[in-house]
Amino acid sequence: MILESDLLVIGGGLAGLVAGTIATESGASTILLRKGQSATAFSSGAIDIIGYLPDAAESISDPLEGLTAIAGLYPLHPYGVVGYGDDVAPEEVVDAIIGRVRDTVVWLKNHLQGTIASVMGDFNTNIYPITILGTTKPTCLVQETMNPGDVNKHEESVLLFAGITGYPDFNPSAAAKTYLEDRMALGQPPHKIGHCMTQLMPFRKCFNISSIEIARHLDHAGSIETLAKQLEPHVKQIGATHVAIPPVLGFRHALKNKRELEKSIGAEVFELLGFPPSIPGLRLQRALEEVYTKAGGKMLVGHEATSYTKTGQKIKTVVARSPRREISIDTKAVVLATGKYIGGGIAGDEKGLRETVFDIMTVTADYHSAKDILPSKATNRLEISPMGQQLQWCGLSIDPQFRPIREDGLEWADNVFAAGAVLAGYNYSVEKSGLGVALTSGYSAAKSAIKCIKGGGEN
Amino acid sequence: MNEDEAYEYVKNTLKKELITPYHADELEIVKSVSCCINCGLCINHCPVVAAIGLDRFNGPRSIAVELSRSPPEYWSTADKIYLCTGCGTCREVCPKNVDIPEIVNLIRARIFEHRPDLVPKGFMLVKEIIAEHNLAFEPWVDREEKAESRDMRLERLGLPHIPDVVKKNAEVLFYPGCQAEERTQEVREAAKVILDLFAVDFTVLDEFSCCSLPSHLMGDEDSARNLAKQLKKKVKKLGVKKVVTTCAGCTSNLADLAERDNWGTPTYHLLEFLAEEIGFDRIKQALKEQTPSQSVHVSVHDPCHLIRHTSRRIMDYAMDILSLMPGVKVTESITHDSCCGGGGMVSYHSRDVADAVVKENLISLEETGAERLVTPCPLCTAQIESNLFKSGSSIEVDDLTVFLAQRFSKE
Amino acid sequence: MTDSEFDVVVIGGGSTGTAVARDCAIRGLKTLLLERDDIASATVGTCAGMISSGLKYSDEPDIMAMCSKEVMHFNHIARHIIMKNPILAPLLDLSDAASDSSYVDSYSAHAEEREVPSMLFLTPEASREIEPMLNPDIIASVYYEEFFIDPFRLCMLQTLDAIKHGATVRTYCEVIGFDISNNNDIQGVVFYNRVTGTTEKINTKLVINATGPWAHKVAKLSGENLDIRLNKGAHVILDRRVVNVGITVKAIDGRWIYLFPHENTTLLGTTALDTWEDPDSLVASFDEIEYLLQSIQTVLPSIREARIIRTMAGIRPLVPEWKRPEGKVTRGYRIIDHSENGGVKGLISFTGGKLVMCRHMAEAATDLVCKKLGNTAACMTHKQALPGNDADVDVSALSKEYGIALHALERMRARRGTEMLKVLELTKEYPEWKTTICTCEPVIEAEIRYAIREEFPQTLNDLRRRLRLGTGPCQGTFCTFKAAAILSDELDLGGDDFLVDILDFRAERWKGIRQSMRGEQLAQEELTLGMYTCVANLDQSDVDYDIKPWEEGS
Repeated sequence: MILESDLLVIGGGLAGLVAGTIATESGASTILLRKGQSATAFSSGAIDIIGYLPDAAESISDPLEGLTAIAGLYPLHPYGVVGYGDDVAPEEVVDAIIGRVRDTVVWLKNHLQGTIASVMGDFNTNIYPITILGTTKPTCLVQETMNPGDVNKHEESVLLFAGITGYPDFNPSAAAKTYLEDRMALGQPPHKIGHCMTQLMPFRKCFNISSIEIARHLDHAGSIETLAKQLEPHVKQIGATHVAIPPVLGFRHALKNKRELEKSIGAEVFELLGFPPSIPGLRLQRALEEVYTKAGGKMLVGHEATSYTKTGQKIKTVVARSPRREISIDTKAVVLATGKYIGGGIAGDEKGLRETVFDIMTVTADYHSAKDILPSKATNRLEISPMGQQLQWCGLSIDPQFRPIREDGLEWADNVFAAGAVLAGYNYSVEKSGLGVALTSGYSAAKSAIKCIKGGGEN
Repeated sequence: MNEDEAYEYVKNTLKKELITPYHADELEIVKSVSCCINCGLCINHCPVVAAIGLDRFNGPRSIAVELSRSPPEYWSTADKIYLCTGCGTCREVCPKNVDIPEIVNLIRARIFEHRPDLVPKGFMLVKEIIAEHNLAFEPWVDREEKAESRDMRLERLGLPHIPDVVKKNAEVLFYPGCQAEERTQEVREAAKVILDLFAVDFTVLDEFSCCSLPSHLMGDEDSARNLAKQLKKKVKKLGVKKVVTTCAGCTSNLADLAERDNWGTPTYHLLEFLAEEIGFDRIKQALKEQTPSQSVHVSVHDPCHLIRHTSRRIMDYAMDILSLMPGVKVTESITHDSCCGGGGMVSYHSRDVADAVVKENLISLEETGAERLVTPCPLCTAQIESNLFKSGSSIEVDDLTVFLAQRFSKE
Repeated sequence: MTDSEFDVVVIGGGSTGTAVARDCAIRGLKTLLLERDDIASATVGTCAGMISSGLKYSDEPDIMAMCSKEVMHFNHIARHIIMKNPILAPLLDLSDAASDSSYVDSYSAHAEEREVPSMLFLTPEASREIEPMLNPDIIASVYYEEFFIDPFRLCMLQTLDAIKHGATVRTYCEVIGFDISNNNDIQGVVFYNRVTGTTEKINTKLVINATGPWAHKVAKLSGENLDIRLNKGAHVILDRRVVNVGITVKAIDGRWIYLFPHENTTLLGTTALDTWEDPDSLVASFDEIEYLLQSIQTVLPSIREARIIRTMAGIRPLVPEWKRPEGKVTRGYRIIDHSENGGVKGLISFTGGKLVMCRHMAEAATDLVCKKLGNTAACMTHKQALPGNDADVDVSALSKEYGIALHALERMRARRGTEMLKVLELTKEYPEWKTTICTCEPVIEAEIRYAIREEFPQTLNDLRRRLRLGTGPCQGTFCTFKAAAILSDELDLGGDDFLVDILDFRAERWKGIRQSMRGEQLAQEELTLGMYTCVANLDQSDVDYDIKPWEEGS
């Protein structure tokens, strides 16, 4: 069987789903292939735009400042590339970048409104939510359930970290100590912090409890009251104004649960940023899928792109495999949003790094070909440092329309666009820019693809 | 010791050390499983974890990074490994598509070989039935009673009886699967009605035999390989070009076997056969000739063996076909593609687990307001039907093949 | 005698040092073990754990006989931490068989006492039934059997047994000098406590220098010269047991290398390079990784498809024989009584030796110590079992009784034998400690708490050596932060210390991951960075983290 579409999106993370939604909304028929879930589904619930410049020690207080710096220092950064389209005058580069990123942030906020992953925050300022380790990080948007409110602004605020017995992913005592030491070093509130344990036992056991069990449990009627009853005495005891809990407040009803809890215990409640397997990530992934399919996009879950036909400078057909069947998809344009090593868009062994669907040239942090590099040579002796790992910068190099380019500097194909972590030129883990770049590049790649599809129709 | 004695000695030592060497065709599974990065995404999606919690069933991630790493210790997974329903959700959401369902079968096979005392007792009964009858279900003793039961079912459903024909070199072998062959005979008959309607040149097996999936799922690899060999021989002997089945499990298993053992005969689920071989134009035409049935509001359940073990496209076909049927309104439940708990032979030893898995499905099914659930798999049909009945629900369940046959056939 | 007066001070908490401390303590000597780092943190922690029958040492028949006896002893005193290792040596051409066939006879001569068969020859077909990944071009293979021991648990059990018999054990105490009398007699030992940052001094009659690759440096602190030949060995570690049996093959230079299933992993080793590097900053090189992979590829062509999770490198303290290739240097050991050549009195050093000989080395050294001190007690270390060895454990029954997964308990049994009951007992009062913390190995919270309370770890790395925490395919990605919180809780650490523990453990894991990074380990690392850098923002943390020796430089 052969399927037909205007646009084929390969990859079902945030970049792919945003690209697919934009294209569908503009009237293009879209098919999205997804072989598995990936980094978006792991994400902590925060949507980072830009938190640090590479190797910098100070965080960036607002995306505007960060994007301005990137425009000047890293023109080939996926954010920077936005400013070099044919229609952008040299003096408008910075404004073009900022304008585009701001547009995408507004777009995403609007689209997530009313979903299970609705977000708060605003493009003009970074916020500093707390993580399950008690550290903080700069980010732009967080899910509404994760809004820490004014906990670190008011002198009188008192924060209670609440854990769940038998749920090993979060230890409130360690997090409380870490956060308090951090705040004391800065001389900033809250000055009083406490921690406590609660017992939830979704399956009547107080051990080996997973995030999803708790989230589903809290979605069921009556469970929030149980939690509230347990929290109440602890809140009273230390006079807590805020309660931080691990990111498990619910899958479908997290926000409602948060509000109910707040009402019962008389303190603000927020979820911490957590690690995979993450419930906020699950909520975001699900919400984006619903946005895409509601817009009319078609998803082919469980399908992996395995081969393609290219005529001249155009991809014509992509073949996709499910566990035991194969189909062909004829398409006018492709958005490649396959991720990096986790998503499988880039793979590497001792022979070098390669792009896995089309075998497009990969590049290093210095924009040299990465096809022959030994991965360990693209790493630092320090695993965790602001320098990051060069491997994280590797990926595809693109033109201002987000089309991947070859060794000779020309586009690999006229109708292939790339977005998200498959791109080179940024290191999301040190920059804290992952979903932001996915968002902006997914949006931008889709806009270019739409032009290509419409232009192609005229030819 | 000469070389033969030496080999026997070594095999004996390995057996004592509980090592069965990986076969060449198992190495791919082992390789796949070693790709796990421990991210735990699968835990968020595993229907068994959702139903009984991570402590009782420690989930797909644990199978990949913990339980499958050391073959000599496979026996020590016996308290967990039989609780997997084999739905394949983990493999589908996994960024690395780690083949959990197959490593589960591999581990079960090792336990079956080295520690039969740890294999669930319920499996041994099935093994005996299969050994005796080449069927996963105890067959009817009395052929006439079986025919009576069939006729009663057909009459209730208003379907005609198309007599069985066995012939060589037909285009299609219709293979109903054990359940439709022995238990839900109406599915078998309904499929024949549909094939007949579209004038398909088809045959059935002279003597039906199991596709081997139940043996494979229990870890009884010897029986599984035996049955597979038998069936291949029968298919080859008939000289058919295609195999069409109405069972989801048979669809994926036969596709597997055909590839592994070079059958050279593709297997289709009836839905695929309708969409790809008969074509929507002929389906539309056939429906035009029917007097529109009474309107009915249905919801659909997607069998794991079709969507996750074969291709999600098959259920797209189902939706497309249903959308052509006059008077049929379809409402999807939010758990339409979530495992019914009937797979992986779990119900043979832990009925409570299988039933806990289907619980969420029933809740969201009620939310759709549908009066009837249809699903193209006899196993899912039975599992959901019995649980709906227990819960006192008024929703009825039809195998999709039966539902289609009723709407295709001339009144 | 007070707490600062000892009969003997053993320096070095490796296999030899802990064996000596155990032997001395059992014989009633007042014993102090000083270890600069943690138990089993250096050479023994980077070995394959094979208690070898001495197969490779056929030109040293006495040593083969001794190795064989020692294997029997271990099977008697530590059977709960031992696994049998069936091995195939596939032959690609006749020269493989002919060049040194003497080992067949000498191996077989001692096989019976170890209850293993003589060497067997298998056809290529039979070989490939046993290991389907084998190169189809092999002409035959040789089959034999060896035994593995968990080297970390061996050292730990020897240490715990020493403590049980009255020894004092101090980890993180680095010897920085000796108190030597005017007539050149050692009277005391000065050491720096790395945890408290203080210097301490104790008095002793004798000192045993069991510091392996640091032996010459420690001897030098007393003014003594000690000749030693340092030789680097590296391993590549693959996830899970990818082969059904161990495989040995000759490398490009004619040395034997091996691929052994070990615990839940497979070890590919080893290299042998004369080295003058600092043992603390040692890592496996690209050349070593390729040497091993290319050599094993000759018989297992698809081995590169298996997942490599890390490398490890250590240093063998060989007997200083010059002008001989590493393979020809004696595998025996030397005990150097420095007083014999007019040197300092009261200092005894080791060079050479193998894991399998550690008990034997300890017996010989302790005999010497006893002679000097006039102690007449006989050695009992080959008769008295190590903790946990005394009975079989019915894991299935325990699983039902305590409601803990069977597999988790089976892994615990392999570390602790009957002593696992002490861990399980904790879960009666604290059922929440049944929670799995390290999901790969697996390790439950109760065992972590127990180890922290009874086995004196200071860091997550110390816990790793005691529990295999963080040694699976994810290399601690998912247990580092959970275990750090438990350590922080038990030791009542502050918030900064909690983060430092995380960074410390990550640094040590990264040391081994980085060198061999490829395939899924790239994805694994992206995930690790996503968690600890992107989400937790630890790259920007301003805690007091000490750069590790292998992290120095650019």
